[in-house]
Amino acid sequence: MRVTEGGFVRPEGGEENLDGLLTRVARGDQGAFEAVYDSLAGPVYGLINRVVRDAAQSEEVSQEVLLEVWRTAARFDPAKGSAVTWVMTIAHRRAVDRVRSATAAAAREFRSAEVPPRLSDEVADSVAASLDAERVRHCLDGLTEPQRESITLAYYGGYSYRQVAQLVGVALSTIKTRIRDGLIRMRECLGVTW
Amino acid sequence: MALRQDLHSLAGPYALDALDIGAEQDRFERHLQRCHTCPGEVRGFREAATRLGLAAARQPPPEMRARVMSAVARTRQIPASDDRARHARPVQRLRPVTRLAWAGAAVSLVAAVVLAIALVNTQSQLSRARQQLSQAQAQLQAITAVQTATDAKVITKGTSVGGTVTVVSSVSLHQIVLRTSGLPRLKAGKIYQLWLIGKKPNKIRSEGLLVIPPNGHTGPVLISGVLAGDTFGVTVEPAGGTIQPTVTPIVGIPLPS
Repeated sequence: MRVTEGGFVRPEGGEENLDGLLTRVARGDQGAFEAVYDSLAGPVYGLINRVVRDAAQSEEVSQEVLLEVWRTAARFDPAKGSAVTWVMTIAHRRAVDRVRSATAAAAREFRSAEVPPRLSDEVADSVAASLDAERVRHCLDGLTEPQRESITLAYYGGYSYRQVAQLVGVALSTIKTRIRDGLIRMRECLGVTW
Repeated sequence: MALRQDLHSLAGPYALDALDIGAEQDRFERHLQRCHTCPGEVRGFREAATRLGLAAARQPPPEMRARVMSAVARTRQIPASDDRARHARPVQRLRPVTRLAWAGAAVSLVAAVVLAIALVNTQSQLSRARQQLSQAQAQLQAITAVQTATDAKVITKGTSVGGTVTVVSSVSLHQIVLRTSGLPRLKAGKIYQLWLIGKKPNKIRSEGLLVIPPNGHTGPVLISGVLAGDTFGVTVEPAGGTIQPTVTPIVGIPLPS
């Protein structure tokens, strides 16, 4: 797997490969789907596991997401964003649906929103391995503590911004501002061109 | 205008899927179609969020690949032009043939019944989901209440097996909030059990079991009914837990009183 400058997967340009693969998947190319799987199953499973916090459920949701990628690949529109983001958005939404649904509510109190630990040996030799997770950590460290807290609770914790507001004990408008300002800073720090 | 600006400020939470699922999300998505600056902003935020997601990558169970591939082989894809075709000419192909009217009426009746059943299902799911959500929210509120109580005290202590246990205690609320960090994951057949140990030896209450997730952090967990003089403790017990602790606690924290 290619490691791009800065160790990052670049959704614009750098991963045109994946965009192209997904376009082939939309035409029913199972070989292309296998390549997409090998690139993105690790990120998809890791993110879902991070939010759902239960190995069995994470696997179940990951399978649903990857199957949805296959089934609805025709809806992917490269003009609207990268393939990686398209897939990861589906994964995150499904994970959030799962934790906010009935069955998970009981286990909810056990979830936390810590930033993922340093990448270790268990990380797949895939796109995941080429990522600079350290860079993400560095950018998170560049946020104010309240911004970091709001973003990680919402994204990794799967909490709605209302729940984050309750959890942190501040007004809704404050949380909205923290998330927005934090994302603007993250976007700049990560060099997202949009 | 105020409303529109208010909607606009939801771009951040929307990109993190942090709007309430349903009405609020739908409302913002409608706004998104009219707003000129929002789509670009949401897109940038989503790309940034994607990096957060990629940073959490971990190896899936190896057997997952075969399962997904076999499901793929059985699953029909939506056609490439599916969406566009449906929007472009929705009813053009229906021919007004009288002969079909009765059949149509019968189909409508079936459809109506199916729809009614679907609605009932959705309604009950919705109310169940609401109920669960409000429970979760009540839980969060209770946790926040402890953490922001005027008499909240924070105690962190290492355990004999490694890692730390942090307790936020509020005497006035008779509650504590527990978090752990770096506790080793246990072998199959073993589990961490939480206890409140009263002053008298027979006053020991189990407060539940604790599973350590892969990242080693747990919490916040709310424990209620804390009495003056209680000690909070954690033991390693056989999976399923025990009625009374069978071993020496790996950590004991005398709670403020």
